[in-house]
Amino acid sequence: MKGYLAVMRGSIMVGVVYRFGFIFSIIGNVIYLGVAYYLWKSIYRHADVIRGLTFNETFLYVALGSAIFILLKTYMDWIMNYEIREGSIATYLIKPIDFGLYMLFTSFGSVLMNLAAITIPTLLMLLFVFKVDFTLGPGLLIFPLSLFMAFLISFYFDYFVGLLCFYSESVWGISTVKDIVVTVFSGALIPLQFFPDAMQRILLWLPFQAVYHTPLMMVTRPDQGWEVFLPMLLVQLFWTVALFIATRMFYNQAIKVLRVSGG
Amino acid sequence: MSLIHVRNLSKHFKVLNRREGLGGALRDLFSGDYRTVEAVADISFDIEAGEIVGYIGPNGAGKSTTIKMMTGILKPMGGLIEINGLPPYENRIRQAQIMGVVFGQRTQLWWDLPVIESFKILKEIYKVDQKTFDEHMGMFNELAGLKQLYSQQVRTLSLGQRMLCDITASFLHNPQVVFLDEPTIGLDVSVKAKMRSIIKELNQTRNTTIILTTHDLGDVEALCNRIIIIDKGKLLYDGDIKKVNALFGAYRTLKLQVDNFNETTLQTLNEKLTERFGTGHGIVVGESEEFWTDVTIDQARTPLSDVLNHVMTNFPVSDVRIVEISMENVVRKVYDGALS
Repeated sequence: MKGYLAVMRGSIMVGVVYRFGFIFSIIGNVIYLGVAYYLWKSIYRHADVIRGLTFNETFLYVALGSAIFILLKTYMDWIMNYEIREGSIATYLIKPIDFGLYMLFTSFGSVLMNLAAITIPTLLMLLFVFKVDFTLGPGLLIFPLSLFMAFLISFYFDYFVGLLCFYSESVWGISTVKDIVVTVFSGALIPLQFFPDAMQRILLWLPFQAVYHTPLMMVTRPDQGWEVFLPMLLVQLFWTVALFIATRMFYNQAIKVLRVSGG
Repeated sequence: MSLIHVRNLSKHFKVLNRREGLGGALRDLFSGDYRTVEAVADISFDIEAGEIVGYIGPNGAGKSTTIKMMTGILKPMGGLIEINGLPPYENRIRQAQIMGVVFGQRTQLWWDLPVIESFKILKEIYKVDQKTFDEHMGMFNELAGLKQLYSQQVRTLSLGQRMLCDITASFLHNPQVVFLDEPTIGLDVSVKAKMRSIIKELNQTRNTTIILTTHDLGDVEALCNRIIIIDKGKLLYDGDIKKVNALFGAYRTLKLQVDNFNETTLQTLNEKLTERFGTGHGIVVGESEEFWTDVTIDQARTPLSDVLNHVMTNFPVSDVRIVEISMENVVRKVYDGALS
C-alpha cells in the first residue's frame, strides 16, 4: 500500500513540475463559464423554470459539471497509449506492483493536483464572480463519496480505452468517441433533465451519468432527500464494482498479446 | 536446483506483411497477410547463483525477447522458465521482488522528477527499509558519485549519469538476479569502465547473479566467465568464455589507408607481411571500404605492434585505425565451426 501512495505522491509532484498548464486550464475554464452563463441566461429569458430547473440550478449544474470534467481529466488513456506504443510499459511490468492499481493511483495523484489548482479556483469564481446560490442540503454530505466513485468510474473508462491499445496500438479515434459519448450522455454538457423522458430513463441506468449527473444532483438539488439519492448512489456503486471487475478481466486477456518491440 | 532454469523456450510473433507506399498502406487495412517471426526457438540453459553470464548475439537475435520472458513481461509460447523455482510470468509481482532490470534504451526512473524522488518511490514499491536504503545509497555514492545528481531532474541527466542511476535503482532491493539489457549502449569509454567495475563489485560483494546482453565485446571480456551466444532465436554456444576469447579476444583488425592505392597494393602488402612473419602468421589481408585495407591479426600468434611497425616503415600509410572484431564476425566464425 505504501508503494502505491508513493506512486501517487510522485504523480502529484509531476503535476507541480508542469504548473504552467494549470494557468491555461483556468483561463479556458473562465471562458467556458462565461459562454455557458450567457447561453443559459438567454434560454431562460422567457421562463423561470424549464424542466423543473431554475436558471440558478441549471447554471450551477453546468458550471460544476465543467469543474468536475477538468478535475477528472487525467489523460490516462493517452498516457497508456503512449507507454504501450513506445514500449516503456516494460518498466512498469518489472516492478512488484499491480499495473491497474499503479495507473489508478497515478491518476488519483493528478486528480488531487487538479483539485487544488483548477477545481477550487473555479468554485471560488462561481461564488464570488458569478454569485451563484449554494444551498446546503443533505446531498452535500454524501457528495464527496459520490464524487470519489465518479472518479473511479471515469478512471475505468480511460483505463479500458488504454487497454485497447494492447490490440489496436492506436487509440486516437476510440478515445475521441469515448470523450464525446461520456460528455453528452453523462450530463456534463446539458443537464440530463433536458433529454427526452424515454432517453432519460435509459441514461439513468448507464454508467456515464454516474460520472457527472449523480454527484451534480447531490449539490444542485438540496431539496431532494435520501429516497432520491440512495438509489443513485447504489447505481454508482454497482458501476464502480462492475467496471473494476470487467477491466481486471480485460487486463488479464490483453496482457497476453503484449509485444514490447525494440531495446 | 539452479537459480535460473530455462527449457525449450520459444516465442514467435505474428507480423502483418506491410506493402510499400500509400496505396499499399491502404490495402493493408484489409489485409490478413501475416507471417510468423520466430523470435526465440527452443532455447535451454541453466544459470547458477552468483554467475555473470553474457547473453550475446547480433541485432534481432532474440536476446531482448528472452530477457523479457525471464522478467515476466512477455509470456512464453512454449517451454519453461523457472527463476528460483517459479515461472516468472505467472507470478510476476512476487518474482519482480527478487529481480532487477536495466534497459539500456529506456529508463525506469521518473522522467520529470529529481533523481532522489525516484529512489524514494522505488524504496516504497520494493519495501526496502530505511537502514538498507541508506547503506545502499551510501555505497553507490562511493562507487559512482551520485550525490550531486540527486536534486537534478532525470530528463536533464546525461546518458551516462542516467545509466548509473538506473543501475543503482535496479540493485536497490538487493535482488537475487539482475538483468542488464545493453547497459553500456551509447556510453563513452570512461563511463563504460566505471559501469563495469560497479557491476563486478556488486556481483562479488552481494553474490548477485547477472545476465548481461551487450553488443560490446569489451563488456563481455571484462565481466563474464560464461557466455551464451544466440542467433535467429537459436542457441549457438553456451560455455566457458576462454574458448570464445580465442575468437574475439585475440583478433584485432588494423585498418590502413595507403597512399596511391591501386590493384596491386593488397597483393604487395600480403607478400611483404608473409616475407616478414612467414606463413601461418595469423594475418589476413583484405579490402574493405574505399581506399581502406583491412589487416586482421591473431594476436595470439603475431603481436599487433610488430605488424603495425612493419607496415608503417615499409608503406606510405596516411591513416590507421585499430578495430575490435564485431559481434557479427564472431557469430559468423561460430557458424563456420570455430568452436566445435
